[in-house]
Amino acid sequence: MTTPLEAAEPAAVQAAGPGDERSAGRGTLRYALSKAGGALFSIAMVLVGTFFVFRLLPGDPVRNLAQGRNMTPAQLDLERRRLGLDKPLLDQFIDFVGDTLRLDLGTSYEYKRPVLDLIGERLGPTLLLAGTGLVIAVSLGIWQGTRAGWRHGTRFDRLSTGASLLLWSVPTFWLGLLLMMVFGVGIGPIPGIFPFRGIESVDAPDGFAYVLDVASHMVLPCLTLVAVVYAQYLLVMRSSLMEEVSQDYVTVARAKGLRDDEVRRRHAVPNALLPTVTLVFMRVGFVVGGAVTVETIYTWPGLGQLFYEAISVPDFTLMQGTFLLITVAVIVMNTLADVVYHLLDPRVRSA
Amino acid sequence: MNPFLAVRLVSTSIHRWMYGYLTVPDSKTLQPSPDLAESWTTSEDGLTWTFKIRAAKWSDGQPVTAEDAAWTFNKMMTDEAAKTANGPAVENFESVTASGQDLTIKLKAPQASMLENPVPIMPKHAWESVTDMANYDAEKYPTVSSGPYIAVEHKKDQYVKLQANPNYWRGKPKIDELQVIFYDNPQAAIAGLKKGDIDLLGRMTPQEFEAIQNDPNIEAWNTQGRRAAYLQINHGATTTDDKAVGDGHPALKDLKVRQALHYAIDKQKLVDEVQNGLAKPADGSIVPPMYKDFFWEATGEEKVSYDPAKANQLLDEAGYKKGADGVRTMPDGDRKLEFRFTIHTETPIEDKLAEYLTAFFKEVGITLTTVKLESSKFTEETGVTGNFDIAISGWSVNPDPEEVMATHLCSRRPAPGGEGGGTESFFCDDTFEKLYQDQLKELDRPKRIDLLKQMQERLYTQAPIIAIYYTNDLEGYRKDKVTSITPIPEDKGLLYGGSGYWPFYTVDVKAAAAASGGTGGGSNTGLIAGIVGAVVVVGAAAFFLTRRRKSTADERE
Repeated sequence: MTTPLEAAEPAAVQAAGPGDERSAGRGTLRYALSKAGGALFSIAMVLVGTFFVFRLLPGDPVRNLAQGRNMTPAQLDLERRRLGLDKPLLDQFIDFVGDTLRLDLGTSYEYKRPVLDLIGERLGPTLLLAGTGLVIAVSLGIWQGTRAGWRHGTRFDRLSTGASLLLWSVPTFWLGLLLMMVFGVGIGPIPGIFPFRGIESVDAPDGFAYVLDVASHMVLPCLTLVAVVYAQYLLVMRSSLMEEVSQDYVTVARAKGLRDDEVRRRHAVPNALLPTVTLVFMRVGFVVGGAVTVETIYTWPGLGQLFYEAISVPDFTLMQGTFLLITVAVIVMNTLADVVYHLLDPRVRSA
Repeated sequence: MNPFLAVRLVSTSIHRWMYGYLTVPDSKTLQPSPDLAESWTTSEDGLTWTFKIRAAKWSDGQPVTAEDAAWTFNKMMTDEAAKTANGPAVENFESVTASGQDLTIKLKAPQASMLENPVPIMPKHAWESVTDMANYDAEKYPTVSSGPYIAVEHKKDQYVKLQANPNYWRGKPKIDELQVIFYDNPQAAIAGLKKGDIDLLGRMTPQEFEAIQNDPNIEAWNTQGRRAAYLQINHGATTTDDKAVGDGHPALKDLKVRQALHYAIDKQKLVDEVQNGLAKPADGSIVPPMYKDFFWEATGEEKVSYDPAKANQLLDEAGYKKGADGVRTMPDGDRKLEFRFTIHTETPIEDKLAEYLTAFFKEVGITLTTVKLESSKFTEETGVTGNFDIAISGWSVNPDPEEVMATHLCSRRPAPGGEGGGTESFFCDDTFEKLYQDQLKELDRPKRIDLLKQMQERLYTQAPIIAIYYTNDLEGYRKDKVTSITPIPEDKGLLYGGSGYWPFYTVDVKAAAAASGGTGGGSNTGLIAGIVGAVVVVGAAAFFLTRRRKSTADERE
């Protein structure tokens, strides 16, 4: 995702001449500021969008809250007033923006608790699961991608690329159920080893045993998540390494008589890592959104599950809150990715 | 978990295990029987009810008094937020007073269903300090309870842990601990049952049920259920001021057409092929046959059996002629008999039903096209705006069918401004209305049952809805763990899906040693029940949400 202000940036970039450390630093700062400005603009648009789009959804929230029960008009009115739905739309919007800036995301219709609290409760489990999954997927993807790209065309390359693509194209839900059946329930003589519901046992022990308990609950959801997403890191790493291999500097390094793996580690890989870094940052934004499907399969009490539930009710405030959080996280991470890339790659600065 | 607010099926079921009510359905007959009220009397005019509260104790040792009950009802009558869960239950209450162990309720108008009061009696001493009821989540554990179990721990959407109440007036339950574990995903719940992570799982779909049927460790529990599935027919939707709303097909206003539709449906085939045989074809109305007292079945002339020839004949006689393309047209114009069938998105079983109905109706010269709506839109169009021709519906019925009958009253139609509502059929029929009012006043049970049966008959013959089948109650439990469990009603009744706490009060399990490779390593002295939560996988979302809506009756048993 690019920010709308991108068009305005080359001037700032050109101002920083290559080789001049101080002005390069200033250039980066200016670049970062312009990116941040763009991000703020995007966030403002998201705020507007969130408010109006969710009001276009079908269904009267008050009636949905009643869930088919017979409510008197007086009760409906009271409920409407309580939710502030009786005010003109513009007033509602102003309230919404003001509250959001004060980090007050309102009270969930369904849970009758502050949205921020609900999000807070779910953020931890999501970061734990999706974060761990991301770290594993990135490490695995980069390692396999490097090996595959360095010696592309070999059996290892064909096998790992093929396997990752296969996993990438498999429906997450199906794969999750399959893993649950094999490693959770057990098939034939293979006993099920891992739990497949929730983040902890109901009678969870304390201390270190608790950490083990949570870890065992993480195995299957994490495995599912990693299996499905690691292909993208593998493929990006592989192709960018293959590109580097054909570059002159690699040939030069080889000609200098450096050992093969030294050329790979010291010369080719650092350069090839750049696109992967961007991808990782972009992914971190989505991590906050959680992995809805995986969380649902394994009843993982995360944000994805919360967002999904908010949509099904529909619970406007909860939807707004989770949606805002997820989009803001994605925007912030994209901006960071741009800035970091700018720092890492001189070509972007001088381009 | 605040009983004044809880509308979710899961929480209300658990409240039934935690709190005493005035009365409880008898485990054999399902008739109201003493719970916290050990006896009661009614005044001649039916307006004053006096309940004698039994000398029971709260789980914290304090005595249960009529004052607790009076406080509970008065709280609901005066605090708008406290009305959230069971408001309608006290709508007709004039005043509620306590004197010693006597609770006196004065009514504005007679109400025969007084003994079906759905309100859990709450401990005044533990709850009167709650000022902001709307935002009180009742996260204080252990709870002060008067039912068989006390909640001791609760993790939102994860689990509820309950312990036996040593002060329970019937005596402490046989098991010490009961864990209710939530699953978002039905497949995971079934896997949990197969693995032995959970001991009991309720309310499965036919497809899910088939997955456990041949497992040697699992008792597959298949009994008559408390649910009726029916078609809503838009026979002319109106608001409470009798103004027409919606865009229903005009031909459906004709009783003959509705009857013809009824004759055209092969209910047995639907049961066999849509419900995998796990249902009973409906020869009655919305009260399923498990309620032996209240169930009404059509016989003789009135009975509509599958007979496409008869359906064709009815339509021919009424002047709906078939065109060259085999589709009938209205007698007075060129509008064809092309109806829409509204179902929920992402519900495979309703898709299948739609296919069969389309084929049945084609036989009689009627075209059916399927419209899929997302759950909240569905609720609005079929219950408020009237933008449909035929729609799928269903209801889980309580031991007393008054509430489900009430969904077909004139007053349940949407108000002129689109407010209120809660109709299942947009039905408004003088005969039906009168019967309803009569049964409200009728305190003689056999006479009242007769009136309620006449109402079902009226629904059957007027056909604003057409019952198609009664789905079975499909559950399963571990044979190797559960040593005894008594369903409700006791004669081949329901387990988790039943009304009341009886199965969970009577359940007994094998002692700890049952080695089943469990990971957590906690206590095994209890029962672990799995529940598929309100939030579910994408594919089944609509189905569960509807069930939640349609099951609101559950909260009123």
